Amino acid sequence: MIKFNHVFKIYEKNIKALEDINFSISKGEFVFLTGPSGAGKTTILNLLYREDIPDMGSVFVNNEDISHISDRKLPFYRRNIGFVFQDFKLLFDRTVFDNIALPLVITKTEKKFIKNKVEEYINKTGLCGKEKLTPWHLSGGEKQKVAIARAFITNPSLILADEPTGNLDDESSWEIIKMFEEVNKEGTTILFATHNKELLQKMNKRVIRLNKGKVISDESI
Amino acid sequence: MKVFKEVFLNFKKSGFMNLISVGTIAITIIILGSYFIANLAVNHFLSRVENKIEIVVFLKDGFAAEKMKNTITELESLNEIEDVKFISKYDAYQEFVKDKEILTILQSFESNPLPDSIKIKLKEYTPKNIDKIINILKSKEGIEEIQYGGKEIENLLNILNVIKIIMIVIGIIFIISSLLVVSNIIKLTIYARRQDIYIFKMVGATNFFIKMPFILEGIIHGFFGGIIGWVILYVIINILLTEIKKETGLDFTGFYVFTPSFFSLKFLIETIIAGILLGFFGSLLSLGNIKEK
Repeated sequence: MIKFNHVFKIYEKNIKALEDINFSISKGEFVFLTGPSGAGKTTILNLLYREDIPDMGSVFVNNEDISHISDRKLPFYRRNIGFVFQDFKLLFDRTVFDNIALPLVITKTEKKFIKNKVEEYINKTGLCGKEKLTPWHLSGGEKQKVAIARAFITNPSLILADEPTGNLDDESSWEIIKMFEEVNKEGTTILFATHNKELLQKMNKRVIRLNKGKVISDESI
Repeated sequence: MKVFKEVFLNFKKSGFMNLISVGTIAITIIILGSYFIANLAVNHFLSRVENKIEIVVFLKDGFAAEKMKNTITELESLNEIEDVKFISKYDAYQEFVKDKEILTILQSFESNPLPDSIKIKLKEYTPKNIDKIINILKSKEGIEEIQYGGKEIENLLNILNVIKIIMIVIGIIFIISSLLVVSNIIKLTIYARRQDIYIFKMVGATNFFIKMPFILEGIIHGFFGGIIGWVILYVIINILLTEIKKETGLDFTGFYVFTPSFFSLKFLIETIIAGILLGFFGSLLSLGNIKEK
């Protein structure tokens, strides 16, 4: 599903964000990406999102070199990916309902379908009764649940998560992890960046460790 | 209709910025409108001056009018010429006797003292055209005198042409500078919403979907800016005219561009269209680089 082939990313002043990164992830895998701050976790996610392109090497998603996706086709590529970030990235002037519905609204989906779908995910994430609130009135955990519902609602084949539990207390973190596990059981590939060691040990999944832009280990714990 | 919801949200989010944008367009409309009025007034004045200019050819007394026919047809065939009119001494007499004072003078003559004449109007009064016609006429027989105002007219015409060119240049500068101001204001509203734009891109919204609300926003700003600009312009001109009348006793309200009918629906629609175009192209300009983040 995902293949990094000798990927280099160098920022200005010769800062090597990534150096010769090689790994593959199969369809349906749940993989953690870990390492200290600045190790290159976010850069890898940005490359997968086509926010950035590698300076050398290639990134394949579904056997397609994503560096070559044209600007015109880029939005359609991104519709196959769900994202969840540490800082939620919600639209604060819209309701919970509108935030979750966003990926469907931009594809001009039928209204009734959107309503049913959003209600389904509001139930799944336990946000019942909060549909009409704006994110200002939600706790950190609830905000992240909105972001998760938004990422999951299109049934993407790949979900990228960048420290989604970073701002949350333990209880909310576990609730959220459970949601990722569930969607993974349904076949969605997940790449989950975190430096929460406890999480890595308890989850018992494949872990790719990064340090200073290099892969230092890739193993199942 | 989703797009209107986006526009509404943009309005809500950047309330003060909207005021600045609408205000800028209104000011631009006032400047462009004043320019437009000034330009019309100048052009109106110019065409009136030009209309007054004509070449008058007096013919020798007793020279048969028939012999002049060839000259007249030759003149009529020239590109530079708008109109050639033969005025017989009888016609001229009829024209002059309308004035009672001149009538008494004319009656003191035994016969009609006025000569036959030809009045020539040019399409464009350039020194070159005038020279050409004068030279043709000078080569003809039977001509007593040619009157056209000479050097003074030529100088006046040159000055008027320079004024026209200056007005065009000023107009272009106004339009470009107002476009830049509007596009920068809209750039600021885009900047204020960059986080939202980022999210839209992340979930896979197309550029069209992202840009559309901003373009509509520009158009709506232009619409209101146009109306407000028109109202202010109308008020300013009316105050100016009343003040001038009070101070100097001169009444300009009858003068072409200041008549109430000039500030009619047509002018209002024109200012609104100008505002909308400003908003539209302003937002297009500022959205050009939205792709690069």
